[in-house]
Amino acid sequence: MAVAVVLLVVGIGAGYALGKYYGGSSSTGASAGGCTTTISETGSSLIYPYLQILSPNYTAENPGICVSPASTGSGTGISSAESGLVDIGGTDAYLLPSTASQYNLINVPIAISAQLIVYNLPGITQHLNLNGTILAMIYQGAITTWNNPLIQAANPGVTLPSNTIVPLHRSDGSGDTFMFSSLCYLSWSGWTHSYGTTISWPIGPGAEGNSGMVTTLSSTPYGIAYIGISYLSEIQADAHLQYAALGDQNANFDGQVASGGAGQQNYIMPTPQNISEDANLALNNLQPPSVAISLILGGVPGATDLVLGHGGTNATSADPTPYGDTNLEYTLISTHPKSSAHQKWVVNFLEWALTYGGTYASQANFLPLTAEVIGYDMLALNAVPVSA
Amino acid sequence: MVVEAPGDQPVPPAAGVLPAVDDAPARPPPSAARGSRWAWIGSPVALIPLLLVVAVAAVLVAASHFQDFGPSFWSTDYNFLPADSAASSWGIGAFLVGTGITAGAALVLATVLSLALSISIVVYLPSVPSRVLTILTNLLAGIPSVVYGIWGYVILAPYFALSLEPGLRDAIGWIPGFGGPASDIGPHGLLLAIVILTIMIIPLTTALMREALRGVPNDLLEAGLALGATRWEVARRVQMRSARLGIGSAVLLGFGRAIGESVAVAMVIGAVPMLPASLYAASTTQASFIFYQLDSAFFYPVLLRFLVEIAIVLLAIALVVNLFAQRLTQTEIATATTVGGAGGPAGR
Repeated sequence: MAVAVVLLVVGIGAGYALGKYYGGSSSTGASAGGCTTTISETGSSLIYPYLQILSPNYTAENPGICVSPASTGSGTGISSAESGLVDIGGTDAYLLPSTASQYNLINVPIAISAQLIVYNLPGITQHLNLNGTILAMIYQGAITTWNNPLIQAANPGVTLPSNTIVPLHRSDGSGDTFMFSSLCYLSWSGWTHSYGTTISWPIGPGAEGNSGMVTTLSSTPYGIAYIGISYLSEIQADAHLQYAALGDQNANFDGQVASGGAGQQNYIMPTPQNISEDANLALNNLQPPSVAISLILGGVPGATDLVLGHGGTNATSADPTPYGDTNLEYTLISTHPKSSAHQKWVVNFLEWALTYGGTYASQANFLPLTAEVIGYDMLALNAVPVSA
Repeated sequence: MVVEAPGDQPVPPAAGVLPAVDDAPARPPPSAARGSRWAWIGSPVALIPLLLVVAVAAVLVAASHFQDFGPSFWSTDYNFLPADSAASSWGIGAFLVGTGITAGAALVLATVLSLALSISIVVYLPSVPSRVLTILTNLLAGIPSVVYGIWGYVILAPYFALSLEPGLRDAIGWIPGFGGPASDIGPHGLLLAIVILTIMIIPLTTALMREALRGVPNDLLEAGLALGATRWEVARRVQMRSARLGIGSAVLLGFGRAIGESVAVAMVIGAVPMLPASLYAASTTQASFIFYQLDSAFFYPVLLRFLVEIAIVLLAIALVVNLFAQRLTQTEIATATTVGGAGGPAGR
C-alpha cells in the first residue's frame, strides 16, 4: 500500500516534472520560481540537513532545477535507489560494489562525518583516552566499571570512579551503529558480534536517534554513547557530557601496543584535520582504489568484507594523527538512467556539490571531502551516460 | 439490563440486598431472529471488511516469504549479526514478554483508574462536574500518541532515572519486579512505558466503561436504593454487575490498543530484545521493535521477513482480542434486547 502511494506520488511528480521539461516551458517555470526539473533524493537522516542547505544554493545558480531531499533512513535510501524510485539514494554505509553493479548504481561520497565517543562521568571534565578494544570490551560487558585497569592504564593520573558503566546504543537502524560496531569488530578478538546498521547488543539500553542518545546520556550518570559529530555543539552545551580521544592504530588487534617501530599508541582528538587525515589514510591503504570503503581505523576495503585483524600503520601518511571513527556519507545514483536528459541534471548537481559543497559542509557539521576522494568521485560521475 | 452470562457466580446470599428473580425469560437463539447465518454473504458491502482483513493477512504472509526461523522462533533468544553467522537466532519470546508486561500492567492500572473515574462520573458527581470530566477524558483520547511519547521522553524519563526508580527500588525492592540490579535503572524502561501506556488507554477504557455503566436502567438503581442499599452498594452490586460485560469489553479493547502502540512505546522503552530482570530494565515490544528496525530491514532481507512475522503474530493476537471484545458486547446487546423486550423486571 505504502509502496503504491509512493509510486503514485513519485510517478505524478516525475511525470509532471518531465512533462514540463520536455514541453519546453522552462523559461516560464524558471521566471515563476517553479521547477522545470526536480531531482529527488531520499535516505540517510544524517545527509538530509546537508542537502537541504545545498538545494536552494544550487537552484539559485541553476534556475528551474530543484533538488528535493527527504529524510527517511539509509536503508530506505538504498532500497529506493535500487528500485529506481528516486534519482539519488542517500546512505551512511556504502553499498557493496557487487550489489551496486547488480542494480547499476555507483557509490558517490559527498561528505565526511565522524563519530564521537561521549560519556557522562560526574566530576570528570577532561577528554578521556579510550580505544577500540576498550570500547568493544565495555559494550560486550567484559569491562564493567570505570576504574578498570585497562581504562586506568590509558588515563594515567585520572581518578576514575568505581561505578558501573552504562553503555547506550542506538535502538533504530543507523549508520552510526554500523561505524561503531565496525570499530569494535576490528579492535578486539573477543567481540562476538559482527557489524551492521543494527545488531543485538548484549548489554545496555537503547536510545532513538542521535538526539535521543544525547538526551538519554545526559540523564544517565556513568553512561557512555557513540554520537555523530553533527551533535558536537549539543554535547559541548551539556555540562554532564564530555567526549573522548580515540587511540590510533599504533596498536595491534586487541589493543596491545606494537612492539618496535610503531611506538606507543597515540590518542587522537576528533579535530577536522585529524578526521580528514583518516579519509586520506584510508584511500592510501586501499588497492585498488575504491570509494566503497569503511574509514574505521584508517580504512579497510569494503569490497567483500571488513578485514579482520587489520593493523596498518600510519607510516604512509604525512600527518601521523588520523581519527579512526570516521565515515564517508554516500549518494547512490544510477548508471543506466531511464532518461539521460534528466540524469544530466542529477550528475550536474553532484558535480556542483563536490566542487562547491565544501563551503556548506561545516553548516551541517560535516567535513569537506578531501581532494583525493573528489577525484575518484569525478571519475565515476564522468562514466555515467547523460545527454549532452 | 442484567445479564445472565454463562459461568457467572451467583450473588452470595449474605449480600443479597436485592431480591432474586429466577424467572428470566428464555433467550431465543440469536440467529433465528436474523434469518440464515450465511445471509450476509449476499451483501457485497458486508464482504469489504472481510476482504480487507484477508488482504492484509495475505500481503503479510507473502512478504514473509514463508521464511522458516525454526523452533527457536518461539524462544527468547534473539541474536542478530553475530560474528559467527551460524549462531544467529530469531526468537520472538522477548518481544512477546515485553508486549505482555507493558500492555498487561498498563491494563491493570488503567482498569482500576478508569473504573474509579467512570463510577465517579456516572454515580457520584453532580451533573456539571460530571459533564466536564466526561469532556476532559474524551479530549485526552484525542491526543496523538507521539505527544504522550515525547512528554514521557523529555519530562518523565530523567525523573524516573534519577529519583523515582532508585526510590522505588530502595523502598519496595523486595517485591518481585521492583528489585533487580541497580544497573537496570535508567531513563528508559518498562516502568516508564507502562505509565505512558496507562495514560494513553485510560480515556478509551473510561469512555467505554462510562457508557456501559450509563446503560444500566434507572429503575434498577432506584430499586436498589429503595431497599436501603447505600450508593456504593448499588454501584458495586447492581450497576457494575449489570455492566460487567461492557466493562470486560472495555478492558479487552484497551488491551488491543496497548499491544498495538508503537511510537510512544518505542520512544521510552529502551529497545533491548532480552528478557527483563526488573520493571526498571529496558525492554522492547513487538510493535515498537517493528517501528524502529524498519529502516535497517532494508539492508537485511532476513530481518525484514522476521519483522513481518512478528507483525503476523501481533495481528493474530489483536484479532483474537478484538473478536472476544466484540463477542462480549454482542452478548450484552443480545441479552439486553431480549430481556428488555420482554418488558418485565429483570434482576437476580
